[in-house]
Amino acid sequence: MVSPRRRAAIELVLDNLVWFILAVVLAIFSIAVPNYFQIGIFANIVEQSTFVATLSIGLSLLIIAGYMDLSIESVMALAAMVVGILFAKSGVGIGLTLDPEWLIVPASLVIALAVGALVGASNAFFVVRLRMNAFIVTLAAYIWGRGLVVALSGGRSAQELPPALRFLAIERFLSFPLIAWVSIVATLAFAFILNKTPFGRHLLLIGGNAQAAYRAGINVDRLTAITFVIAGAMAGLAGWLLAIRTSGATANLGVGMLFQAFAAVVIGGVSLKGGVGSLTGVYAGVLLLASIQTAINLMGLPAHFTQLIQGGMVLVAVLLDTVKLSIRKKLI
Amino acid sequence: MKRLIASLAGAAALTVATLLSPALAASKGTIYYMVPTLLDEFQTGSVTAITKFMGDVGYDVKALNADNKTDVQQGQMNDVIALKPSAIILAAVDFDALKPQVEAARAAGIPVMIFDRQITATKSDLTSVAGTVEIGYVAADQIQRLLKEKNGAVKGKVLQVLGDPGDPYTLDIQKGFEEKMKAFPDVTIISKPAMQWEASNAGSIVADQILANPDIDLVFVHAAHLAVAAVASLEAAGKKPGDVLLVSSNGAPVGLDLIRKGWEQVEVEQPLFAQAAALAMFADKVVNKQELKPGRYDVLGLEGTLTNEAWGPNIKLPGAAITKDNVDDPKFWGNMKTPETPVKSVE
Repeated sequence: MVSPRRRAAIELVLDNLVWFILAVVLAIFSIAVPNYFQIGIFANIVEQSTFVATLSIGLSLLIIAGYMDLSIESVMALAAMVVGILFAKSGVGIGLTLDPEWLIVPASLVIALAVGALVGASNAFFVVRLRMNAFIVTLAAYIWGRGLVVALSGGRSAQELPPALRFLAIERFLSFPLIAWVSIVATLAFAFILNKTPFGRHLLLIGGNAQAAYRAGINVDRLTAITFVIAGAMAGLAGWLLAIRTSGATANLGVGMLFQAFAAVVIGGVSLKGGVGSLTGVYAGVLLLASIQTAINLMGLPAHFTQLIQGGMVLVAVLLDTVKLSIRKKLI
Repeated sequence: MKRLIASLAGAAALTVATLLSPALAASKGTIYYMVPTLLDEFQTGSVTAITKFMGDVGYDVKALNADNKTDVQQGQMNDVIALKPSAIILAAVDFDALKPQVEAARAAGIPVMIFDRQITATKSDLTSVAGTVEIGYVAADQIQRLLKEKNGAVKGKVLQVLGDPGDPYTLDIQKGFEEKMKAFPDVTIISKPAMQWEASNAGSIVADQILANPDIDLVFVHAAHLAVAAVASLEAAGKKPGDVLLVSSNGAPVGLDLIRKGWEQVEVEQPLFAQAAALAMFADKVVNKQELKPGRYDVLGLEGTLTNEAWGPNIKLPGAAITKDNVDDPKFWGNMKTPETPVKSVE
């Protein structure tokens, strides 16, 4: 029989396993990789995590609710390109200016969120109203979204966002750039929503057993539709942040981030079967992937190792999830 | 009444004939351009340029985008072969993987012209390239000059940001660059690939390396859109234009803008317009399966050298170094002014 204190300790470790792994990995890299152990590198890791972390918020919520969204990467690129075209001064950018200049921050943010929310709403319509398969619907949006980016830009770049926006990537608070704080705050806000509000609890219930949730009086369709819109809006936010960091947008911006987001979500402990997961764990998963990427950037390793390691880590994460489940069963 | 109907019918026939005749007279046939991707400005620019120049010599152009997928391009080639066009222009996603399709097209009597991405594993009817290895050479010459100006001798630390490590284009540039830099042992080169040519990947590499190696003198990126992300990272690291030298290749508009703003010192141009115009100049001969004579040809003011190689006729156009002194020259494709003077067929 396990004592309550020991059981609590084991639960704590299991619930935060990815954070412990992150700490160990960071410690190993700090010792083994030259120049790794410095505040600037840790700040870089957090900065580089910004976009995948923001993308992963919506993806996690949808997976927890029992769905998935493959369109988020293209939606992110679309939002970035729309912001780039409207506000960048070079390339295909038309360089809109606002008076006072700071208005560009809320205006571009609202536009990016709206672009994302619109695509999310379109996904929700097909999935919830027309009962189409979410995988197919969002795969289609992944394809047409990127196509729209190319069509809007003609394959060209929009570059040179004004300083009023760029300051978010340049100015720092506690060593981290402001765009990284946006992502951190968004993650914490949605972690709170998921854990402490009826919306979050209902989402977990829907993902666990949608039929039971429906019978318990939860408006499953409405909540699912809202979650798709949130996922789209979060992808729009990621696009806004990415455009600010790269000072504009290129037609292939963000390519490959969908798979990183999926990897982070799985590593972070979200069950692909739905009903289980925490956003702080997902954020730790993103940090873990970025810390490995940074180590590879600093070492002489070929970039292919990143993909090999990431793929291996996803497998290990799924394996750990199974081990965690069996340990929990024994505890019960 | 009969006369009226006959007059109307005659007028209608004349109108139709008038409408149709220019098209019929102008078009010598359709040429398919197999573009590897539309996700970068060089490729989208190549569609415009090839369509314009081939139009000058009487051909319609249809472009098919392979989205950087070898299997998609193979399928497109197979489809186009079935359509029996006048010729195919191929900018291969993968240099070797398209060899069977090139051979199948030629066996079906369809001439194949290779644009920009040289295929040496099999015969083709004309290859028009800037020479990616040569771009590396030009970049090396310019980087030697910049390091000498900065450090008094060709020494220092260079961060080389490649494109996707699976793309032979970037590997060739790296090969040419590093081959020329071997003579300078005091130059340390750190090479890192930006997976999938994605700009934020390049930005992350620069951000990390600037911290780990604060003594980096120069960043050499293999495409201008990567240079933009590199500049964003330098700016975020508190650098000002010129603090860290920047050299890029391909000559895209964004690279030229960075030169104007002082962030970038040299852009090694791929002569997009000349490469496309060279194909148009020889299109009639290629379509009619006539011999192409080796020699030097004036291609939009650049000297192109046509040679007979093991893989067929090959015209090579020199890449140019763009600096702040010549950045506004309209001959550079990055200034987005497609030459208006019509290209003429080689007699």
